[in-house]
Amino acid sequence: MECREIREIISAYVDGEASPEEARRAEEHFGRCPECRAAEKRMRALGVAVVRAEGAVPSDFRENLFARMEKEDLLPKRRSIFAFSLRWAAIPLAAAAALALFVLSSRDVPRDLSSTAMRPPGVSGPAGELSPEDREIVAYLDILEDPDMLDETEIEEMEIFAPSPEQRG
Amino acid sequence: MRTDAELMALYQKGSRDAFEELFARHHRRVIHFCYRMTGDQARAEEAAQEVFLRIARAASTYQPTARFTTWMYTITRRTTLNFLRDEKEPGEKVPIDTTGEGYDATEGISLPGRGDWDPEQVAWEAQLKDKLLEALQKLPEVNRAAFVLNRGEGLSYEEVATVLGVTVQAVKSRIFRARETLLAELSGLVE
Repeated sequence: MECREIREIISAYVDGEASPEEARRAEEHFGRCPECRAAEKRMRALGVAVVRAEGAVPSDFRENLFARMEKEDLLPKRRSIFAFSLRWAAIPLAAAAALALFVLSSRDVPRDLSSTAMRPPGVSGPAGELSPEDREIVAYLDILEDPDMLDETEIEEMEIFAPSPEQRG
Repeated sequence: MRTDAELMALYQKGSRDAFEELFARHHRRVIHFCYRMTGDQARAEEAAQEVFLRIARAASTYQPTARFTTWMYTITRRTTLNFLRDEKEPGEKVPIDTTGEGYDATEGISLPGRGDWDPEQVAWEAQLKDKLLEALQKLPEVNRAAFVLNRGEGLSYEEVATVLGVTVQAVKSRIFRARETLLAELSGLVE
């Protein structure tokens, strides 16, 4: 095969796009044609030169582009950190509020001791009088209003008092 | 890691992060392609900005069945083509100037190691880059695009054919012709 005819195959061979048959023909040709072998090397060197011919990436390229995009309303605005925090803070805040409501509603039970049916089990004494346990609970009501009154050891010793369904009526 | 197509789908739904990720992945390739196609740094930057604006504007038309990079390079090639046509207007021609302020002559050249520093080698590579960019501009646009997409951007012949809207055989032929012309232009520099 004439060199003129096989050069296009060599070009595809250099790009890894020659068929197996074309690759075999090119390699056979290289064995007997130093000129085409040299041409193949020049083609490969040219490919490397193109890869190295890169443009510069300006440091403000991204900033300029995104400013233009925001102007055209093509880029969604980033949510503020404040709004994001509020959204996620809502979960623990809601949980804390629910717990506080539950605790406070539980504390309502011993306040009305006019009926013995409302009295916690094991609590004796005449109606209208508070047992030592009740007094302790009442004392903690102040703490609920001002949690700073507690220190760490007291928090560890605290128990959650939950009335039974019978007590709730 | 999300694919480009997945990121495009997320951007279509309003995700800013998705577009930022796409930009981070591809902006260098777009700038380099525009630079090789126009031979001018300022024009390349301007064209590359326009490419991403067009991608954003056309996001709703993107179909995940098409490979994102192929779609992106189709837009990029059309954009540079418009810029090149604009350049042909009288008085609009922007010369290739790689000595201007802000231009980094070492950009894209793999520098030698500390012990192998060779100013002659660096100067030679810079000269080769200038000559190559000049020679590229002399090629017919479609031959230049085929060669740059394949050798510069790493697209297969089939992908190049999709971007250019021609057959694979036509791509093979155009790349060969581009190579022959470039090697003749760079005779003595590329051995």
